[in-house]
Amino acid sequence: MNRRQLFLLGTAAMLANAMPSFTFAATQDIESRFMGASQLLVNHDLSPAVGARIAAFAQASYPNLGDMLDRITETAAARGASRVEDFFDAIPEGELRDFAFWVISAWYTGSSSGDRDATLFTYEEALLYQPTIDMVPIPTFGFSAPNAWGNDLYPLTDLPRF
Amino acid sequence: MTSSSQVIVVGTGVVGSVIAEHCLDAGLEVLMIEAGPRVSRAQIVENYRNLPLGAKPDATASYPPADWAPHPFHGLEHLESTGPNKYDPTYIRYAGGSTWHWAGTSWRLTPEDMQLRSRYGVGRDWAFDYETIDPYYNMTERKLGICGPADPADQWPVRTRSMPYPMPHLPLSQGERKFTEVMRDKLGLRNVPVAQARNSGMPYDDRPACCANNNCVPVCPVGAKYDAATSLNRLEAKGATILENSVVYRVETGEGNRIVAVHYYDRDKTSHRVTGEHFVIACNGVETPRLMLMSADDRNPNGLANSSDQVGRNMMDHPQQGYTFTTVEPYWLGAGPVVNSGIMETSQGDFRADHAAVYFRLNNFARNRDIAKRAMSSGKVGRALDEEIRRLTATSLNVVAAFEMLPDPNNRLTLSAQKDWLGLPRPSVYWDVGDYVRRSSAEYSNPLAQRIAEAVGATDFKPASPEKFSTSKHIMGGTIMGNDPATSVVDRHSRTHDHANLYLPGGGAMASTACGNSTITMTAMAFMAAEALVSEAKGA
Repeated sequence: MNRRQLFLLGTAAMLANAMPSFTFAATQDIESRFMGASQLLVNHDLSPAVGARIAAFAQASYPNLGDMLDRITETAAARGASRVEDFFDAIPEGELRDFAFWVISAWYTGSSSGDRDATLFTYEEALLYQPTIDMVPIPTFGFSAPNAWGNDLYPLTDLPRF
Repeated sequence: MTSSSQVIVVGTGVVGSVIAEHCLDAGLEVLMIEAGPRVSRAQIVENYRNLPLGAKPDATASYPPADWAPHPFHGLEHLESTGPNKYDPTYIRYAGGSTWHWAGTSWRLTPEDMQLRSRYGVGRDWAFDYETIDPYYNMTERKLGICGPADPADQWPVRTRSMPYPMPHLPLSQGERKFTEVMRDKLGLRNVPVAQARNSGMPYDDRPACCANNNCVPVCPVGAKYDAATSLNRLEAKGATILENSVVYRVETGEGNRIVAVHYYDRDKTSHRVTGEHFVIACNGVETPRLMLMSADDRNPNGLANSSDQVGRNMMDHPQQGYTFTTVEPYWLGAGPVVNSGIMETSQGDFRADHAAVYFRLNNFARNRDIAKRAMSSGKVGRALDEEIRRLTATSLNVVAAFEMLPDPNNRLTLSAQKDWLGLPRPSVYWDVGDYVRRSSAEYSNPLAQRIAEAVGATDFKPASPEKFSTSKHIMGGTIMGNDPATSVVDRHSRTHDHANLYLPGGGAMASTACGNSTITMTAMAFMAAEALVSEAKGA
């Protein structure tokens, strides 16, 4: 092995050693940007752990994920919006609007799609159950004391806070 | 390894467990052999929680089959279905059997349900009448812990009970009460509380009270619902030996055509032989006739217990059609157990001479998962989306029409040329729900369902296709009971006509289906079989 070959080998080894931290930083960055866009698209407190799982899936599914997250954030900023109702109509129809709906659906259903072989992000933290949590249980979780579930029919307008 | 036992019970579901316990209590030695694995409740609950939303409605998705004990499962070919309709039962091969994922619904038959031939000129009569099975229903209600209404006006069948239920019925949610009132006031129909194997307001049988986890199907997370898995530790404490992951593939006959042994494969595909004196095959209504056919020998070239050629024939179920509709007023179904009330009186009448009876079940599953796709595709976001989820969940109703079905020898289970992991022939079922059911759908149940939908203020009722039916997973008929050995497989004690020491209790023995879920009747028949077996063993 000559000196040039030794140099190249050494450089490759250094890069390989540095790669995990580089990858970790990139992952952290995309998770952070994903959570930022998610908080604009969903008006509720969101779990970073769940967000990390959705972000990982999105990263593998959307090659231009970072760009789309930035465009959503910029669209909200252009309106000075912090609630989804205040800027969603400004997201252009097509790929970006579809992606925004997918992000919302992921948080609500806890799954990557409605297919039976979809990826699960969360069960009990899926937002789907929260608008009705005063009236019906999240299945498998206890709801009331024995034989004590005959509560009143709450009106549709009284949304629980979550 | 155990190589002999006085009583051998193949299958650890509710039927096998009840018979095993009866034998143990009588002082008999019992070996139970189970094809599938023995698992913890916590494992099944975790399996369910870890399913993506789209797989959660599948009752078997939480029960992945073992290689050596395949059962119907998404993506796995086990049971072949041929014929004009799809036969798609959801039994599982686990210790504890399919009661793991039953709803716990425990309707009794009526006297009329047991006399279709003599009263309406269709189907078959049972080998005995309602008065004969009534005490065994009482035993079943105590063994399983079945709660039910004390008020005769709310009971089914409409007749004086010989014993009260051991527990009061579970309360209806406000939405179920509202539905009940609407049915009564607008249609004159009685929506009554379901008798169900679930602890109501109190512990029973070392199991806790129901706390409305609303997940009876596919698994009760706390064991408030009876399933046979809850009884296995008790059976062992009473002296039973339970072999799991042991697939019985052959029943061996000897002198006088008596059964002398069963052969099973362990999960290493090693074969074992176990001898005994009395044999109970309770593997469910598919696997039991399959095993009889697989066990053909020189004495019984068409399979065991099959001199009548009726093994595997007369397969029955409760074909069903679902109606989902949206109301204006909220009903809020989803609090309490998943099936808590139903309309049974539509299952009785002289019309049964012409078409099938039907029972309307008000499903009480929390509606969130079912309305998710609709809500998410609404284009709404933010608070509007939350309100849409709340509105759809509260106003979405699901009513299921479950039909009775007649025994038809052409609806037949046979052995497929295809083999399973162990090299055993897979079951194949020809399936046609029949004109008796199709006529009921077109002329009777669809119009009734429309009236129900209109009464509750549905805005989007769609009639069911009279050609499309799903399977209820209530497997009946394949080892049918009767007094005549020429036309039936087992006698009134579920004992085979052909083999004096072989019992085939369970849904396969049922001579008619009626409309209500079959488990309580199967269990009552198990008690009858157990009494006969113990009597024989004691030399009475």
